[in-house]
Amino acid sequence: MIRQLDVDGVPTLLAPTTGPAHAGLAFRVGFADEPLYRRGITHLVEHLALYSTGVADYHYNGATGVEYTFFHMQGSEEDLAAFLTGVCSSLRDLPMQRLAVEKDLLQAEANGRNQGAADSMSLWRHGARDFGMPSYPEWGLPAITEDDLRAWVQRYFTRENAVLWLAGEGVPEGLRLDLPSGTRQPAPTPSSALPVTPAYFTANSGVLVWDAEVERAARSSVFAGVLERAMRRELRQEAGLSYTAQANYEPLGADRALVTAVADSLPDKQGAVLGGFVDVLAALRVGRIDEADVTAVVKQRAEALHHAEEQGARLPGQALNLLAGRAVQTADEAIAEMRAVGPAEVAEVAVTASANGLLMAPRTRADWAGFAAAPNRSETAVPGTTYASLEGPDEALVIGPEGVSFMRGGEAATVRFDACAIVRAWPDGARYFVGHDGIAVSIEPTLWAGVAAALPWLDSHIPAALRVDQPPRDPAQIPQPDVSGWPAPQRPGGRVLTKRAAVGLGLMALVLMGVPVALSFAVTDGSLTASDRLAVFVVIVCLVIGAGAVLGVRRFLRRIRRT
Amino acid sequence: MLPAMPAEVLFDVADHYPEARVVRTAMTARDWVQVRTVVDPLPPTGRSMLLGVVAEVPGAEETLEKVLADDPQDSTAAAALGRRWTSIGWKIRTSARAEHVSADQFATFHERLRRAEAVLIDGVARNPGDPALWTARLTSGRGLEVGLAEIRRRYDKVIALAPHHLPAQNALLQSLCPKWSGSWELLHPWAREAVLAAPEGSVQGFLVVDAYLEHWIDLAEGEDQRFLSSEPVRNEIYEAARRSVLHPAFGRDYGWVRAASSFALVFSMLGDRASAAAMFRMLGDYAEEYPWHYLGDPATQIRQRRAWALGGAQ
Repeated sequence: MIRQLDVDGVPTLLAPTTGPAHAGLAFRVGFADEPLYRRGITHLVEHLALYSTGVADYHYNGATGVEYTFFHMQGSEEDLAAFLTGVCSSLRDLPMQRLAVEKDLLQAEANGRNQGAADSMSLWRHGARDFGMPSYPEWGLPAITEDDLRAWVQRYFTRENAVLWLAGEGVPEGLRLDLPSGTRQPAPTPSSALPVTPAYFTANSGVLVWDAEVERAARSSVFAGVLERAMRRELRQEAGLSYTAQANYEPLGADRALVTAVADSLPDKQGAVLGGFVDVLAALRVGRIDEADVTAVVKQRAEALHHAEEQGARLPGQALNLLAGRAVQTADEAIAEMRAVGPAEVAEVAVTASANGLLMAPRTRADWAGFAAAPNRSETAVPGTTYASLEGPDEALVIGPEGVSFMRGGEAATVRFDACAIVRAWPDGARYFVGHDGIAVSIEPTLWAGVAAALPWLDSHIPAALRVDQPPRDPAQIPQPDVSGWPAPQRPGGRVLTKRAAVGLGLMALVLMGVPVALSFAVTDGSLTASDRLAVFVVIVCLVIGAGAVLGVRRFLRRIRRT
Repeated sequence: MLPAMPAEVLFDVADHYPEARVVRTAMTARDWVQVRTVVDPLPPTGRSMLLGVVAEVPGAEETLEKVLADDPQDSTAAAALGRRWTSIGWKIRTSARAEHVSADQFATFHERLRRAEAVLIDGVARNPGDPALWTARLTSGRGLEVGLAEIRRRYDKVIALAPHHLPAQNALLQSLCPKWSGSWELLHPWAREAVLAAPEGSVQGFLVVDAYLEHWIDLAEGEDQRFLSSEPVRNEIYEAARRSVLHPAFGRDYGWVRAASSFALVFSMLGDRASAAAMFRMLGDYAEEYPWHYLGDPATQIRQRRAWALGGAQ
């Protein structure tokens, strides 16, 4: 049974546990709150806050996610009190002398991380803002100042914007949450970069990813489970097209949830994987749902909730619910809601999900299946001076007072200064613009006639706040014109025009420049042994999932990443 | 008494299969109940073939849209409507090679085919066990260039539901041609296997012929005839004939006109007057335009070659 208390003005949930005591302090802030030009600031705060705790041998951890950031520990009551009290005092006075080192550590952490198949989905759905942020690397790090950090903490790491959970006997003696006062910061409203749904984009990968925003409810979670079972049957067992076929449910904010389906494809089978997936989804949408699937998923979900309740593992999720503005739900209520789901409810979710789905089609188009192409170019170019490409006659660059446009074959990729999310700037003159809509324009002065001389003018028009200066590049990484573009009209592998290509180029730049690659959930921990790390990791995962949703385990496993 | 030389060339499927005329009349009269009464009890091949007849009735889409709106579970209507939109699309595209089709034509063609796919996706979602729906998706999918892997997935669905489903085999044959998404290396072994897998005396034999005729039309003049009369090709054609049109069990199953018509053509091209004559006698006035249209005006070609074959038999 979960009890609600107040500890130093922080709403608190307390529940007994059959295992070791643990506690967590969460704040309603995450990637979705960061502008791209300060992307990484929350993770940096989390790192700095944990540095001062500096105690070895403790099972503690921090995690930064899309909407929440939390600090967690497992141990004796005395340890819990010391850890959380320490985190709060650290937040009040971040160890700024560690700033440069922690930035380096975050970059190293990002370099060691692999891209997940679904990582670009949020960019295509939301653009380079709010809920699109998980697609992007921590590009803001180089520009983050001490003042930025203090302002970020003052706004988000306050007692009004925090929640505490305690799994154990009671409030540990000596626990003191000395947080500044502020206001609750609701999660941002999700932006949309999709004028029409269902939408798709083509990925140069053999993996199909589909996601859809649905109501945050038990029926949506069951829908994900039923979808997974149908996908496995159709794509894996019957047709042998995929090895992995899964679907996950992940709550978003107070009312929404994201269902994500992933299916890989055996070589040359991408088109059939898409076809099979389209048919699976259509069957659920028209209500042809295997009742046995629903029964099995409901049973499994209900058992997981029951188990989580025993472990005190529903606590963190319920705590996050409080932060999101939802009421605490008892396990019995959650189980009852789950058991009330039948095929008709699943079909209703399928209808909603089909209508707003976003599909990453594996090396293939999906317009035949009723998906509209997601925008990958701009409708207009900015007025300004046109610069000729040194690589071929088909490409041009426009630099003007309102922004920049890359032109190819009559199509434009435009970033306007008044709708710009970041300008990354290198000492050699390279500039990389990303618009709010996710469209990117890369300017390499070596590749354009006259652009080097225009740089001072261009720089003077870039809004100062958006500019993030980068360390120098190795000269070998500065591109030189490839004259094979003359006079052949088409050259494969040309520069960015599509958003996909833009991101690809961005990521390529990352690899070249040693800049971090995207993370969706960053975790920091203390110095633990390897087995401890695993144990803590599993606990954290269980805790977070246990919550309102025992759901989305695999996605979470995939998304949560360690320092 | 010598058999009379056939006078006409009758391409109309309604002449070949009387029930086709009943279905066409019913659809023209918008009598959907009557269409289903005739079509639904037929074996899968016949049912798919007659839905092709429905799909050629002008304005059928209006009736079928209404029928489906009233009863989305009507699988026959979904298959017919999917095929109707596909047929409308293809008439806009024309059967010309891609380089002779304008961008506007392609855009409208694809738009109609997407309508067809939407209807068929929905139909299959509700009634995945109807081979006519999956068969219809072979043609819409080919036009929309969904790729060979997806075409094969659809084909495998049909064959699992209705083995040796002739309209699906016809459709896959086209997809396996290089002009769509296949290759000769894929096409010929598949055609031979499909023929050998069918019971003796089945209509399937012509699949080998059609595959070689598709290959033949793609070759340069001179080379084409050498290819067709080369020993391996001849052997396969005759192997297929013996299992099909020349087999005592060959009857009047759906598709028999197509089979005899293709063999009549290829036998005449190979100079086998006796075998060609046997085909023309079997056909009487009946014929199918495909693959005769590859030679020029089909009726003219058939008259000439029929006269040559049957004249020689006299």
